[in-house]
Amino acid sequence: MNNILVLFTGELERMKKYHVLGASLVVSLIWIGVLYFTEISDVSNIFPLLLYIDATSMSMLMIGVTMFFEKQEGTIKTLLVSPISKAEYIVAKALANIVSNIVTLFVLYLYAWFFKEIDINLIGIFLAIVIVAFFHSLIGFMLTYYSKDFTDLLMGMMKYAFVMMVPVILETFGLISNNFIQKLLYAVPTKASMLLLQASAGGIEAWEIYLSIAYLVIGSTLLYVIVSRKFDEFAAKESGV
Amino acid sequence: MFKVQDLQFKYPKNKENTIKGISFEIKEGEIFGLLGPSGVGKSTTQKVLIKLLDQYSGEVTYKEQNLKSYGKDFYQEVGVGFEMPVHFSKLTAEENLTFFKKLYKSNADTDELLMRVGLYEDRNKQVSEFSKGMKGRLNFVRALLNNPKMLFLDEPTNGLDPKNARIIKDMIKEFKGNGGTVLLTTHLMNDVDELCDRVAFMVDGKISEIDTPKNLKLKHGQKQVEIEYLENTGNNETKKAFFDLEELGMNEQFLELIRTKEIVTIHSKETNLDDIFIKVTGVEKNE
Ligand SMILES: Nc1ncnc2c1ncn2[C@@H]1O[C@H](COP(=O)(O)OP(=O)(O)OP(=O)(O)O)[C@@H](O)[C@H]1O
Ligand SMILES: [Mg+2]
Repeated sequence: MNNILVLFTGELERMKKYHVLGASLVVSLIWIGVLYFTEISDVSNIFPLLLYIDATSMSMLMIGVTMFFEKQEGTIKTLLVSPISKAEYIVAKALANIVSNIVTLFVLYLYAWFFKEIDINLIGIFLAIVIVAFFHSLIGFMLTYYSKDFTDLLMGMMKYAFVMMVPVILETFGLISNNFIQKLLYAVPTKASMLLLQASAGGIEAWEIYLSIAYLVIGSTLLYVIVSRKFDEFAAKESGV
Repeated sequence: MFKVQDLQFKYPKNKENTIKGISFEIKEGEIFGLLGPSGVGKSTTQKVLIKLLDQYSGEVTYKEQNLKSYGKDFYQEVGVGFEMPVHFSKLTAEENLTFFKKLYKSNADTDELLMRVGLYEDRNKQVSEFSKGMKGRLNFVRALLNNPKMLFLDEPTNGLDPKNARIIKDMIKEFKGNGGTVLLTTHLMNDVDELCDRVAFMVDGKISEIDTPKNLKLKHGQKQVEIEYLENTGNNETKKAFFDLEELGMNEQFLELIRTKEIVTIHSKETNLDDIFIKVTGVEKNE
């Protein structure tokens, strides 16, 4: 659709002008630093871990930041009275976000390929990032809807990180051995995200992969419906003429 | 163009209706003014008409069709000039306009519009470097970039110097001259007097009066003579007296006064829309 393309390229242009892409590249440099300082030469196993942190938290943050700018500058009002649908708006934003995550993927992969050893299924991790970033972009929309200001948004992200992201990381490092909690983690979207990303390096059971795909696809669909419904409320609130 | 019947609207958070049953019509090709004190629901009414609020009761039709039946294509022929700045501040004026133009089927010659409002030289400047008045003029250009048929303007001359306000007003008149329809929200009675074909006064969520500016002046206006005179020639204490202009020559009190007192000033006074605003809305203008 033409509108999506216009919105998508506009979004990327602004991400550049507002230094959002720049910030994202700086974060990539941090991940490169991590790769640089690891003793292990084969980074295939920690690679998905870094992308897990990046694709989840950066997605939420970038939706939050760009929408925050639109609110602050009132451009959201202009968009609301333009001949675009909310679906186009939401999808274009999420796509731009995914592109930025994919850029990070390639930057990291190139580094690992040249300076370390890496053996992962590139297409697999590419697809995993697309779906993980899409899901978390939608989470970013929800957080933005319910945040009064930027601090509020950051607080929301922190809560998500502590409740959803950190336990999955701890478990991956073998720091959670309680069987019940391990089972419980299958219920959170971050576990599914982690499994899909790790699958590109191998060692993940087939049923876990299918479960994760199903979880994130169904989860994204439901979340999309909610984000789209709540958009009207958000629009009414932000549309002061 | 628009027909509004018994429109009522309540913001979800509020207990009371903000719009309490209003009816009016905006005819094709006219400039319709929406006036009233701050907080009476002018912007809310406008938001309903531009399809930003849809949980209203009553009926709103656009071109004889229910407003709710229109999709996003409704915006192809509508232009909205916001009061607040609504541009990407890190993009230039040109980049902003180019981006928004791509969303519309029809595009105006924005270079020409920029020239008219005196922003052409600054088109490659970041909007964050624009002054308040420049941003206002850019808002106006943005509202016109899709060659709209229906234009919504909220305080279009706010913050502009007289010369630029003149240009914008002339452009609004031209827009109307080319068959366009305008809903104008403003507090500036001079603008209303000059531009509006009809005005509606809103008070507390209702419309208290709809008419042409001329009829309003006839209806509420009085023509008076104001005389300032010295009560006693001895001290400098002045007093004021008012007389109806009509049959002034036969007004004995008036004649007596100018015969016997020393006159300091003498003025004829016509009620202007400002006075009518206060009279009709019962509120002193506070903006
Ligand atoms: N999003 C909102 N939620 C709840 N109440 C609102 C909202 N927006 C406006 N109101 C209330 O509705 C009433 C009408 O507001 P509106 O913005 O329509 O006034 P207005 O006539 O445009 O005033 P002004 O001349 O100051 O622009 C006000 O009492 C305002 O507090
Ligand atoms: Mg208003």
